[in-house]
Amino acid sequence: MEQELAALTERLAALESASAMSGTINSEIFYWWCTALMIAIHAGFLAYEMGASRVKNVLASGIKNILAFAFMVPTFYFFGWYIYLSFYNGFLPAEDASGWPWEMSMGPNLADNATGIFWAAFTLFAATTASIFSGAVIERIQTAGFLILAILLGSVVWILGGAWGWHPTGWLTVKFGYHDVGAAGVVHMVAGFFALGVLLNLGPRVGKFNADGSANAILAHNIPFTITGLMLIIVGFFGFLGGCIIYMPGEQWINIYGQPTTLSAFAFNTLMGMAGGIIGAWVKTRDPFWMMSGALIGIFAAASGLDVYYPPVAFVLGTFGGFVVPMVAVWLEKMGIDDAVGAFPVHGIGGLIGVISCGIFAAGYPNVDGMPPVSLWGQIVGAATMAVLGFVPGYIASFILKVLGLLRVPDHIQEKGLDIVKVPVAAYPENFIPGPVNTATPAGASAAAAE
Amino acid sequence: MNTSPIETWEGAEAYFTFADKPAIMMLFLLLSVAITFGTIVIAALHEKHAYNNH
Repeated sequence: MEQELAALTERLAALESASAMSGTINSEIFYWWCTALMIAIHAGFLAYEMGASRVKNVLASGIKNILAFAFMVPTFYFFGWYIYLSFYNGFLPAEDASGWPWEMSMGPNLADNATGIFWAAFTLFAATTASIFSGAVIERIQTAGFLILAILLGSVVWILGGAWGWHPTGWLTVKFGYHDVGAAGVVHMVAGFFALGVLLNLGPRVGKFNADGSANAILAHNIPFTITGLMLIIVGFFGFLGGCIIYMPGEQWINIYGQPTTLSAFAFNTLMGMAGGIIGAWVKTRDPFWMMSGALIGIFAAASGLDVYYPPVAFVLGTFGGFVVPMVAVWLEKMGIDDAVGAFPVHGIGGLIGVISCGIFAAGYPNVDGMPPVSLWGQIVGAATMAVLGFVPGYIASFILKVLGLLRVPDHIQEKGLDIVKVPVAAYPENFIPGPVNTATPAGASAAAAE
Repeated sequence: MNTSPIETWEGAEAYFTFADKPAIMMLFLLLSVAITFGTIVIAALHEKHAYNNH
């Protein structure tokens, strides 16, 4: 009898161990595929930016975007992960600071199945921020200046915002109950406001504005490619949003703040927000470019509360965002700011709508560990923090680069086209005869439609 | 050159190359940093050169 009990105990222990290991590996697998899907975001931005460029700049735009991805990986390894794990209290590292690249967890380790896969997912979040910024500055930013700014945004600024407001013990969460499960603030607002800060110093593309301040439409060379790229970004966002929640082997999912949630919640609200965004933008503009941008806006407008919204709330928020944001793009152009792909309106304002809406429609949801519940005030503080955190470094760093002559491509080079100056291959075969791609026309079709 | 920090897989934890040789780890880390940021300097010089030639 005793022998049988001992054997059973041994088998039970073995089963428990196997079950725990299975859970650990399932968790690894989940984030592995989230990361793979997030690469689709970068592929989408690549297509989007190249499509939005004129033929003379298409490869230079592509190179810039590809390099953003390449430089994000090592720099996030060097210091991005350390910033996330160590700066959750503010601008000084916490006592339990970790994430240095020489730690034993920062490489193959049989006792740690988590660090590498989470580092990879966060690196792809970083690449997303860099891509958001990348589209705004196409056709006139120098590569070196762009890379410095992309590294600053992707491996320093956004992840500092992440440590503050997208971390179980971030000060925005602990003190204000800031709630932003889908990263509307920490990714989209930060990147959008960073882009705005840079655009003020970078200036518009040559030919964008006339002497009287009126705008010319600089036509994308391949709208279908741009729209397809946007759809690819949507695909990638299912990896992004999956990576926003935490797989707990043997237990219910939790969000980044430790509150219980489900993937189902994210599925409901992501799709409903996306659909609302498409419809809102279609009603406002009838423009397929804005319809697909509206899909993104709809997701961002619902992103902060994806875990708790009644799905029709997400749909209404998405519709509102999709309808309103194109108007911000028109306003931005009237202000003399050339945001080539609408990065600030889509991500900055779309994210702002998401963060503030959460304070209105998800107020009162409890937090864990004694942290304050979700509130409008907490969301306002969070939104203001993310806007300043994005804008100020973007403005200051781009101003310094401008002074150093590393920011803007000289006007005569812009007129020639960046590809012929900097790229050793041509985008299209010799029998491709481009149309009047560089013709400046009065601000017409898209702006009028948006109004 | 033996780069392995382990002699058996039994009980192995951090097993990446040079895990037991911090000086060499740091050398490769610094080399990676130099490549990353040095490339940006080279990019800036290349661009200046390209712009001046046009």
